[in-house]
Amino acid sequence: MKNEQASRRYRWRRLPGRFAIPGQAGLALLLSLALATTCLAAPADSESPLGLADSAALRAMVFGPDPENLAPLPETVPTREMNIAIEGGLPVPDVFWFNRKLRVHFSEQPGPAPLAILIAGTGGNADSQKLRLLRRALYAAGHHVLTLPSPTFPGFIVAASSTGVAGDLYQDGLDLHRVATQLVGQLRGRKGDRFTEINVIGYSLGGANAAMLKAIDGEAGTLGIRRAVAINPPVSLFSTIGRLDHLLELSVGDNEQGFDRLYHDIYTQLSSLYAVSDAMHIDQDFLLGAAASVLDSDRRLAAGISLSFRMSLINLFFAGDIYTGAGVATDPQHPPRRGDSLEEAMRVLRHQSFSAYFERVFAPFYLARRPGATRESLIADNHLEIIGDLLRSDPDYYAQTNADELILDREDLDWLRRTFGPRLVVYDHGGHLGNLGEKQQIQDLLDMVSGRYARSAP
Amino acid sequence: MNKIVSAASLALLMAGCASHHPAPPATGQPSATIVEKAAHGAAARGGTAPDCQMESSVADPWEPFNRAVYNFNARFDEAIFLPVSRGYTRILPRPVRSSVTNFFKNLGELGNIVNHGLQGRISGSAHSLSRFLINTTIGIGGLFDPAKPLGLERLPTGFGHTLAHWGAGPGPYLVLPLAGPSSLRDGGGLLFDGTVSYSVNLAGLYQSDHAWALGTTAAIDTRSNVNFRYYASGSPFEYETVRFLYSNMRMIESGVDTALPDGCE
Repeated sequence: MKNEQASRRYRWRRLPGRFAIPGQAGLALLLSLALATTCLAAPADSESPLGLADSAALRAMVFGPDPENLAPLPETVPTREMNIAIEGGLPVPDVFWFNRKLRVHFSEQPGPAPLAILIAGTGGNADSQKLRLLRRALYAAGHHVLTLPSPTFPGFIVAASSTGVAGDLYQDGLDLHRVATQLVGQLRGRKGDRFTEINVIGYSLGGANAAMLKAIDGEAGTLGIRRAVAINPPVSLFSTIGRLDHLLELSVGDNEQGFDRLYHDIYTQLSSLYAVSDAMHIDQDFLLGAAASVLDSDRRLAAGISLSFRMSLINLFFAGDIYTGAGVATDPQHPPRRGDSLEEAMRVLRHQSFSAYFERVFAPFYLARRPGATRESLIADNHLEIIGDLLRSDPDYYAQTNADELILDREDLDWLRRTFGPRLVVYDHGGHLGNLGEKQQIQDLLDMVSGRYARSAP
Repeated sequence: MNKIVSAASLALLMAGCASHHPAPPATGQPSATIVEKAAHGAAARGGTAPDCQMESSVADPWEPFNRAVYNFNARFDEAIFLPVSRGYTRILPRPVRSSVTNFFKNLGELGNIVNHGLQGRISGSAHSLSRFLINTTIGIGGLFDPAKPLGLERLPTGFGHTLAHWGAGPGPYLVLPLAGPSSLRDGGGLLFDGTVSYSVNLAGLYQSDHAWALGTTAAIDTRSNVNFRYYASGSPFEYETVRFLYSNMRMIESGVDTALPDGCE
């Protein structure tokens, strides 16, 4: 197995242009790795040695769809990067000097067309590999495409968040709505007829964000968002982070040394990839891709997946720590400034779980901010049920998920089925986003976003 | 004076490419070794006192300076380097750009010839010399790379590798203005390679009145071939991460065991 993976890596390296211009095989691999980013692991059944994750799901998440199942998409589409100063954010802490403006990407159709607003998953930027894939699909189908980072991406937290504490469904929805309103206003143009309608789509946490964005917009009535499609969304954020933390414990153990070793191995692998490449990315997509060849067992696959989530968590935890002065990894009296070493903070945060973020940063902040809130009410507020009535009654909400979706437990999956009814498609494989980009998945997405989706026979 | 400054920056920039490339394989089968090493590196064990924190293996006594330069580089890249390189990519068609890349890589063969020799690898020198001769003649002054299809793949190396070959440690981590992550050893290596190029003054290019233009083109060519964006990750820990990755990468290239010591599990 190891040899096979090594030789696969070898071919990858030898592609002309290396990562910059991957050939088809490289592309497929890149895609598949990309897919795994925001993922987590764990099927509803517990057949695997890890209890949470079955082998096929883990592999799908790291290696992605089989190349022959991939939807044919254009290699690239015209895309413009925009760096925008967002109104209504907080003052920028000095240590985040590089994140003053929000970076988003816009792909414009030559004439009037529907606008698709895409939202990245946990910790993802506006040009994540999964967003690129979705952008290509939607642009090729005739949509203008605007991609936004996740509200949990540090660049979003710093440039656009009104709290600095990411991860609350409603608050993040409000921030996203403010950002989307400003951006659409800027892009719409003077005549205002460039966008024939506006739809929102998100994957993973971005899927829940997309549904929330439409719900908030329905009340505010500013954008007139028509449809929302949630791709592999979480249902209860609290339940999902619990599963993520548990997966890491199961796969790495809860001692710090095991974690450090995994961290070291994966980053060493990443280094070796850079040694033979002109590309250097340090985002999670790339991290997991690099890690693929050292992930030689289910346990290590799961560990790598958990680790890629942890990398996102470290960043947003750090931001929350700075903004709230929680003092977990930084001194509230003397917050770090640009040029200060952050190594110690990084070490501390590397060992913090999602639950620790909830307990030490998130809950204290929102309990103080929302009179009458309790720990239980915060958990309940971060469940899609807060817009459950809308999701049940409004025919313009759609969702996709997988039977072996790792961020959902059985209860969550049943809730999605009951809530979305015929507007939900459940694929029988893929884990978390491991089938993103497959022909059927893309076709269903395009049908959903244009309102012509009809579920085929059960 | 002007000439010296431009030649120095030229050397720095041109050599900058070298710092991003793998060391040549001792065996002549570069990448296999590296990939093998990477794939199996985790299995190896070494070191003395167990030190399970990965970052502490990187000596960075000049961190404040390095961070300042890193941030300068990030800003320079965003404001000037990247926009210019994007314009370059937009304006010139791919075949032209790859000829520019080939041209500078061909000039760089000089350093490869010298350094393979200094590392006691005469076959490496001969290999690079053959490439240089073929590409300079049949490849029209280095604009094309006909040597590659003949089985003569580029084997880039530099004085930094030579120093490593003879046992010099990397020394402190060093972030170079414009060129980016390096180490004292590799930075010194760049300077040496630049000086050699300047002294040999191939085709009179390095000491001409237009050396600055050549250097600028080399820099833009290099940038357009490097797929990296400062702070694309949005992470406040990018400096730490890049430092670790760079240092580790150079250790892997130099054949140093990067595995954590025993006692870390």
